[in-house]
Amino acid sequence: MPLDRKIAYVDLTTGEIDIKPIPLAMRKKYLGGRGIDMYVLYNHIKPGIDPLGPDNVACISAGILVGTPSSASGRTHVAAKSPLTGFIGSTNMGGFFAPEMRFAGIDHLVITGKSEKPVYLWIHDGEIEIRDASKLWGQGVHKTQELVRQELNDREIQILTIGQGGENLVRYANVMTVLKNAGGRTGMGAVLGSKNLKCVAARGTMDVKIAHPEEALEYNQRLVKSITSAKVSITQGKLGTPFIWGTTNSFGGVRTRNFQTNQFEYADAIEPEAIDEHIIGWAGCFGCQVHCRGRYKIPSGEYKGVYGEGPEYTAQGAFCGEPACDSMEALLTGNHLVNDYGIDVLETGSMIAWAMELYEEGILTLEDTDGIDLKFGNEKALIEMVHKIAFREGLGDILAEGPLRAAQKIGKGSEKYLIHVKGMSNLHSDERGQPALALNIAVSSRGSDHLRGRPAIDLYGLPEAVLREVYSQPVKYDGPLTSHWKDYEGKAWQVRWQETCYAAVDCTGICKYHTIFLGPNFPNFEEWSKLLYLNCGLELTPKEIWDVGERCYNIERLFNIREGLTRELDNIVDRYYDEPTKGGVPAARGITIDRKKFQKMLDEYYEHHGWDKDGVPTKETLTSLGLENEPSNML
Amino acid sequence: MEDKKTTAERTAAGRSSGKFRCHNCMTRIAPPAGAKQVKCENCGFEWRVSWLGPTFPRIRGPVWDVNRRLTEEALKARENKE
Repeated sequence: MPLDRKIAYVDLTTGEIDIKPIPLAMRKKYLGGRGIDMYVLYNHIKPGIDPLGPDNVACISAGILVGTPSSASGRTHVAAKSPLTGFIGSTNMGGFFAPEMRFAGIDHLVITGKSEKPVYLWIHDGEIEIRDASKLWGQGVHKTQELVRQELNDREIQILTIGQGGENLVRYANVMTVLKNAGGRTGMGAVLGSKNLKCVAARGTMDVKIAHPEEALEYNQRLVKSITSAKVSITQGKLGTPFIWGTTNSFGGVRTRNFQTNQFEYADAIEPEAIDEHIIGWAGCFGCQVHCRGRYKIPSGEYKGVYGEGPEYTAQGAFCGEPACDSMEALLTGNHLVNDYGIDVLETGSMIAWAMELYEEGILTLEDTDGIDLKFGNEKALIEMVHKIAFREGLGDILAEGPLRAAQKIGKGSEKYLIHVKGMSNLHSDERGQPALALNIAVSSRGSDHLRGRPAIDLYGLPEAVLREVYSQPVKYDGPLTSHWKDYEGKAWQVRWQETCYAAVDCTGICKYHTIFLGPNFPNFEEWSKLLYLNCGLELTPKEIWDVGERCYNIERLFNIREGLTRELDNIVDRYYDEPTKGGVPAARGITIDRKKFQKMLDEYYEHHGWDKDGVPTKETLTSLGLENEPSNML
Repeated sequence: MEDKKTTAERTAAGRSSGKFRCHNCMTRIAPPAGAKQVKCENCGFEWRVSWLGPTFPRIRGPVWDVNRRLTEEALKARENKE
């Protein structure tokens, strides 16, 4: 059964490895993936520790449905205290790593301590070894995987690794697998780097026995049909996620020139259809039929002919919209470099765009930039800064520290140009016109984050009846819901609903693109209830899965409060309130977020979660979720 | 296991084909087959069209000059009204 997979504790200081079963009671409360990881972090991390010190705990895990016939069930989750924000660090990535780790008998890795020299972990059919990685240290993401496969003489090995960014403790360094699958946003690569852990390799031949195999296959076929026939999936399979950037840019919902405009006009050269001309094929992650990973060759320049995967929405924001650069070469090259160095594309692009605005404002000068003319649109400067960040050279060393620390070092009022929440840069979208999206990034548990609670379907102008059908399951909701993205009413519930939905799906290990993230007719709690029963033999109602998501979100909240989170930090920067939008269609122009209405939404949001006015979970809420005795040290 | 239609399956019944929504006014537009550009009958904004399949159009991007002009006119009208 999938539930027989183990949790392994690896102490890199002592070299001790302890492999244990996961109690069924914990599975029912947290399923797996993000849920169990968050429980482990809350129970094992002492408040106030240095995220880049040996006391930090890193979790690498598979969701409970990973490796089963369930569609797109290949997600890997990585968690630790974040060196970028000081709050929850958590990232979720596609590819093939988690299924392979599960086939090797392990669902959850809990890594503590620090090795004296670079090492890597080798997991194979229930065994875990700590091996020397001195030959791998200094290598990029792509070369590292090649070298490990050569050393272990098996091409089928899956590897989760850091690049030079993680080794150099860039506070937003990623963990990576394959060419471009990135566990980004909260600096998990830097945490592994701080432990001298270069990578984890996995190869398994252990069966995952399915509880009701025939019915599971049949039901999965039904879901696959529903997902692959959706217009949004067809578009994604033809153009990848850049279609979202293209669509959003066409009405004026992207962030460009740091935050100065919300539309990149006449950017035809880098539209999704233009990128498509360079795509030589499409790849999918484990068990996925959508195949949204484009494969390309860089067309020109120093890296001409190099293969890459993507680019994704965030790469378009990072290397096109934000730096106001319409060069295909810069887009594809920049995307390749961040993936090979293992640094977060969104944070990298945001930090460079911020530096560009500072340069244009005269806060940074040629002296500060080592002679680089850091003006918007300068594609050479853009690529040069990617190298400098990954290797912490010159200004890159400051930008590698992330928004708040970098602003502190630069001073001169540079902080007011930052576009961030809790020290993490915002997505390259402009949420001034969409209060629901603004609330989402303000309250997300891992800092500014569109993947933890964004009601993306709010932009579709769906009829209220459809919204009510979606947002009234599996718990009753009869409050307001409105179709227009500019409204404030009912949006707090949508954000809270999405947070619980995404938390639950992150515990299953299914890709968010196979959930309601992109379309109202995508699977959610009802489907997951069936999948859990058919694949794992676990009987949970949709409401019980909702509670798993809610439990996960609340334990994250408890972790963050313990690390100093207050209501004041659940906020967006002043520019959202003070600077009206300048681009896009008339409906998107001249808009700011209304402070009073935003605070009212925040009150409603807290109330929907069962939190008090300061955003602290009430005793009743914790008791109803079985969290009243945390930390309970069950794992 | 209960096997009634799920929320996702019920909402899928309303899915449209051959159309997209105007990015300015949200009106549904059905561009003629193969058209490279289309004008919204409701607001006059024009969009470049790409075809993902013979019956599957999507907005590739704005017809920049037209939409820029219409936006400037709309903003001027809004200003005068205020």
